[in-house]
Amino acid sequence: MSTLKITNLSKTYPNGVKALDNVNLELENGMFGLLGPNGAGKSSLMRTLATLQEADSGTATLDDIDILNNPAELRKVLGYLPQEFGVYPRITAEQLLTHLAILKGITNAKERKELVNYLLDKVNLYEKRNKSVKGFSGGMKQRVGIAQALIGNPKLIIVDEPTAGLDPGERNRFYNLLADVGKEVIVILSTHIVDDVRELCTKMAIMNLGEIVYHGSPQSAIDDLENKVFRKIVSREDLQNYANDYKVISNKMVGGQPLIHVFSEVHPQNGFEQVAPNLEDVFFSKINTSNVLV
Amino acid sequence: MFKTFFLSELKYTLKQPMVYIFIFILALMEFFATVSDNVQVGGAIGNVYRNSPYTITIHVTVFCVFSLLMAVAFFNNAALRDHNNEFNEILFTTPLSKPGYFFGRFLGALVVSTLPLLGVFIGMLLGTYMNSIFGWMDTERFGDFYLETFINNYLLFILPNMFLAGSVIFAMANKWKSTIISFVGGLVIIVAYIVSGSLMSDVDNETIAALSDIFGINTYFLETKYFTPIEKNTISPGFSGLLFKNRLLWTAVGAIILMISYFSFSFKTKNKKVKKQKVKNSDKETVFALPNLNPTFNAATNWIQFKSFFYTNFLSIVKSVTFKILFLFCIIILVVDLSQGFEFMGLQSYPLTYKLIDSIKDNTNLFTIIILIFFSGELIWRDRDSKINEVVDATSHTSFISMAAKALSLVCITSILNLFFILIGIIYQLLNGFTRIELDVYLLDFFYENFALYIVFGGIMIMIQVLSSNKYIGYFISVLVLLVWEIILNILDINSNMLDIGGGSSIFYSDMNGFGPGLKSTLWFNLYWILLSVIGLLIAGALWNRGSKSSLLSRIKTARKEVPKSYRGFIAILSVIWLGVAGFVYYNTQVLNPYRSNDTEEQLMAEFEKKYSKYKEAVHPKVTDAKYYIDIFPNKRDIHVKADIKLTNESNQAIDSLHFFNKEGWDTKLNIPNAKPVYKDSTYLYTIYKLSKPLQPGQSIVMKLDNKFITKGFKNSIGNTMIINNGTFFNNGDILPAMGYNDNYEISDNNTRKKYDLEPKERTPELSSELSELHNRNYINNGESDFINVETIISTVKEQTAIAPGSLIKKWEENGRDYYHYKTDTPSLNFYSFMSADYELKKRKWNGIDIEVYYDEKHPENVDMMLDAVERSLAYYTKNFGPYFHKQCRIIEFPRYASFAQAFPGTMPYSEAIGFIINLEDETENNVVDAVIAHEMAHQWWAHQVIGANMQGSTLMSESFSEYSSLMTMKNMTENPMKMREFIKYDHDRYLRGRSGEREKELPLYKVENQQYIHYGKGSVILYALQDYIGEAKVNLAMKNFLEEYRYKKPPYPTSLDFIRHLEPQVPDSLKYLVTDWFKEITLYDNRLKEANYKKLDNGKYEVTLEIESSKIKSDSLGNETKANINDWIDVGFFMDDDEERLFSQKRIKFNKESTSITMQLDSLPVKAAIDPRHILIDRVYKDNIKSISLEK
Repeated sequence: MSTLKITNLSKTYPNGVKALDNVNLELENGMFGLLGPNGAGKSSLMRTLATLQEADSGTATLDDIDILNNPAELRKVLGYLPQEFGVYPRITAEQLLTHLAILKGITNAKERKELVNYLLDKVNLYEKRNKSVKGFSGGMKQRVGIAQALIGNPKLIIVDEPTAGLDPGERNRFYNLLADVGKEVIVILSTHIVDDVRELCTKMAIMNLGEIVYHGSPQSAIDDLENKVFRKIVSREDLQNYANDYKVISNKMVGGQPLIHVFSEVHPQNGFEQVAPNLEDVFFSKINTSNVLV
Repeated sequence: MFKTFFLSELKYTLKQPMVYIFIFILALMEFFATVSDNVQVGGAIGNVYRNSPYTITIHVTVFCVFSLLMAVAFFNNAALRDHNNEFNEILFTTPLSKPGYFFGRFLGALVVSTLPLLGVFIGMLLGTYMNSIFGWMDTERFGDFYLETFINNYLLFILPNMFLAGSVIFAMANKWKSTIISFVGGLVIIVAYIVSGSLMSDVDNETIAALSDIFGINTYFLETKYFTPIEKNTISPGFSGLLFKNRLLWTAVGAIILMISYFSFSFKTKNKKVKKQKVKNSDKETVFALPNLNPTFNAATNWIQFKSFFYTNFLSIVKSVTFKILFLFCIIILVVDLSQGFEFMGLQSYPLTYKLIDSIKDNTNLFTIIILIFFSGELIWRDRDSKINEVVDATSHTSFISMAAKALSLVCITSILNLFFILIGIIYQLLNGFTRIELDVYLLDFFYENFALYIVFGGIMIMIQVLSSNKYIGYFISVLVLLVWEIILNILDINSNMLDIGGGSSIFYSDMNGFGPGLKSTLWFNLYWILLSVIGLLIAGALWNRGSKSSLLSRIKTARKEVPKSYRGFIAILSVIWLGVAGFVYYNTQVLNPYRSNDTEEQLMAEFEKKYSKYKEAVHPKVTDAKYYIDIFPNKRDIHVKADIKLTNESNQAIDSLHFFNKEGWDTKLNIPNAKPVYKDSTYLYTIYKLSKPLQPGQSIVMKLDNKFITKGFKNSIGNTMIINNGTFFNNGDILPAMGYNDNYEISDNNTRKKYDLEPKERTPELSSELSELHNRNYINNGESDFINVETIISTVKEQTAIAPGSLIKKWEENGRDYYHYKTDTPSLNFYSFMSADYELKKRKWNGIDIEVYYDEKHPENVDMMLDAVERSLAYYTKNFGPYFHKQCRIIEFPRYASFAQAFPGTMPYSEAIGFIINLEDETENNVVDAVIAHEMAHQWWAHQVIGANMQGSTLMSESFSEYSSLMTMKNMTENPMKMREFIKYDHDRYLRGRSGEREKELPLYKVENQQYIHYGKGSVILYALQDYIGEAKVNLAMKNFLEEYRYKKPPYPTSLDFIRHLEPQVPDSLKYLVTDWFKEITLYDNRLKEANYKKLDNGKYEVTLEIESSKIKSDSLGNETKANINDWIDVGFFMDDDEERLFSQKRIKFNKESTSITMQLDSLPVKAAIDPRHILIDRVYKDNIKSISLEK
């Protein structure tokens, strides 16, 4: 069982943006979802954990590895799939994975070959192993990316928005794969798709503006909102009034009319009906504390 | 639609680096062609401005052909990009307009493909501008720019040529959809063009020749054939005449090809034959199991990671299109160069290994450096450009491993290229039937020079890229470092190779002396730079931008934290070693062997003149006898000289002080009886001795000289190439201190003199018949001595033979060394050489004279022919000019650090580069190797028996006479008079080329001021023509009479006027004008055969009518030409064959007007007619003197 412990991690970019604001987290084996809107600091956190970025202050440790001060040690047990995974031109899938396997310390040629074949098969690309990766579709490339993140025996796997550009079938296959490995290692999955987290993760955190605004299990977050979320279809003209009068969590269009969810300790009446909260409500309620329309 | 495709094509290509690289390459090549005579494009620039419209046009047209390969890339991409990206299926199903797509793409590519050639303009402008600042070349050789030149060149050559080539390539690419076929097509166009160019040169009809040139190059040559320099300097190619017609014609052809391609172009892909894919059942059934993994991270891992990095980097270079183009480009340039062989004055050298090495370096080094610069950026930014950097950076590897792999793949690529070129070289040697292939020389030379260079540049370029915040800044800095830094050093007048990146003294392979004196220095400099480069790489590894982009400062911070102690320790240790090496190199190149920068040297020369020219008139005794004791130590490269020099006061006044100017690098001790040094200047090595008892006229003293040359350590430059391991060659002037003030040390360039407030200097004292002190000095010894006896005891190591002037009296062994005692048999000029090398000797006796050739064992091929040549010369000269006074004639080979042959009394040092390695196997007739020998042999009479006073015109009696004598030996063994035309052609060329490059003033032959183009080129042509007009015997008699009056005589020395005095009686009155025209004035002929027609007569004979234009031009010394009335005898003749070998019915006719019509009856019909068929007159353009005869209409 590994433990990833992040203490008081902060990072401010030269342009003044606070990417990480005193982040504290403690994770253990299993899938960990990191939710947050664009620009929340998810990628900064991920990159910092993946040793690709410096932090201004704070510590991060994986078991006894000091990530910030001893990045080389962490890299030995790290699997990382960045948000944007590109490939070299004029190189085949097999060559690329072999090269990365070597970089990840798989020095035994026979092991390496078996591993690469196994992974290619896992991501359903074995047939295409001798094709140039550059010519792959976005989904296929992403699968190569996943394959490379699983190389070696990583203790920590970081995947940054992995399902962007995947069709539903590919997405499912991808999550199965992650779930497979996620039992024994720490998997951090950053996403802004709420469903991903609900389906996969036992633990999660929600980030906004560099801060962790929620940390716990998805279910307990939902439980917290039990009986406190109400919805109503309103007219567009009234939208602003509702926003002033209620804590609006979210609004979305249903049949051409805004459907708003509001948070309230008591039933607000006025045509609202209570709904069973879902993770999306949690997400919006956590990041939308200023009650503006989103 | 058209606009969209046109603009998108432009945008796409302009975002790629390729077009910029090409612009850069062409600009660079043009830059060097502008500011240096070493780089020539389409022939030497000659006497027009270096940036004249004519020069620019020639350069543009030549570069046009070579940049076709670049055009292939653009047009091929434009045609095939969608296809290759498999985007075509999407694109072509949209409602596209076919003309919009087709022509949009084509014209986009056309515009882009003309861009690289703008580099020519950039290079030319930049070169001219920079030259105006740095003055590499005389700024007077640059003129004004005309905007019109650029525009017209673009519209007349660049655009039409790219259009024509582009339409062919575009059509091919659309038809076959294969990059390879497109490239082969491009190559075929270039090769076909070059081949057809040489075929077309035989076409007699100029209009057809001009119109058929697809790129208009020869058309332009034809149009400008009669351009005067002023026209070439001012007139840009224009939209008229044959050139314009040619351009219209070929543009139309291009348009037709394009239209055909357009109509056959279709969006639909043809049904390809689908290859049946093998069904691999086995794949399906394989069950993949996750193996038990043991990731390991140790030294072995590093090695495997290094290999993998290396492999992927290497592959990415090899597969890149830019690399392939550069590679092809190198090969074409190299092969074209090799296909011309190694020409030397109409002969071919054996393809020696060092010749091929030179050729490889000259032709390909620029490209390998560009590959290094370009791919250093590509490799460093490759991960980021491919957006895979975060994945790679997050894996567990040391950055240095990755850096080192990148550096190594660069070094490997360039090395493999180089080895490939070597392979081409070897194949070339074998194809030429040359089997002495020195693989070791190829490889060692590569190892010493280019390999080290690749490592140094590779490491430094990578470091620059790592430290730069983006690729293009990296490129910019790289170019700055490689080129601009060099220029800065130049401006600051810093010559130390320790600051010139990758610099070092050069090695220069010679068959005799191997890699030569620069080797040691080269190796130390290599070590110095390679260490620095490795340190650079280590630093790059530490500062590698791993992860998100961050500033250099924060990277340094990170490095401080992350870089392990051992790594830092390694850098520290290497730095210490490097400092040690640097110290050692510094000690050797600056302390042990100091040198002066050019500016300092110039300053010293100016100061020297100001300080000591007051002693110019001081009277000195003459050297009247010399005895040398010389010990040569070739292995240590040391020489010990002792000499007894007898000094006699031959003036009519007493001498009380002696002035000496010692030789630099020599440790000189003088011992003069009854004399004390009273003045010593250690900077100029100027010493004055005061004699306690003045030397009275006629009195002599013997001065004892002890002079040592000790080679210490190694130098910044190649070092002394006279005193070497094998092939030591120095003359008495190198070891004896000069007596008195030596005006050879004065600055000769008048512009430079002005800078130091020195009066302008005359090149040579003016010719005068009135006897003066000048007539007491011959032009070689300048008053230091006349004809003297010399005795030498010289020793060297046992493996070598030492040679000094005169007969060998005795040879013995002492202390394991060989001693030789030589003595001259007759008083000779005080001008002789001493040599020592491991020689083979071949000799023969002729009328009591020993003919000897001392040669290197590798060069036995031509020795017999050389002996023959000496024998022939002796035979002709003794018969026509008088006896030979030495008892031996020696030809002695010396290494190729210099390429000349030189005549000393009885000996002829002869460079290995010019005679011994020329392939004479198929030469049945005489040749230039013979000619050089005959020339130097003639000096035994012309210079060594009689020598002119130190004034204008004196080299007429040495160099021109020798060149003439040499031509006569040839003439006497040549049966076909046309053969001689080939020989004197070189002399004609030398003269005409030389006079156009004259920077001060051209002088008539009898006042030549040691100007080579006059005394060799013009002198030989004039004397050869003279013997043709007045007879060989008459000319020889004049020369002989002149010789007999002055042979081995004490001063006064003769002048050219004395020769003319002997010549005039031999010239018949009808030809007296020749002496004036040819010797005393500068006269050129402009003869042209305008028409040559025949008709068959009833009596079976042929009547040939020739329309001839003939004029005579007088030139003043500044090149201003005026027409003179012609009243001259000139030959008219015919050729029975196309090759102009069979001369027929030659007649000498008097021409007295500009246009003459001549009708002749001939028994048989010749092929060609000619005015001056044997080319004995100096004609501005000779080609138009000959014409094929055609039937009268």
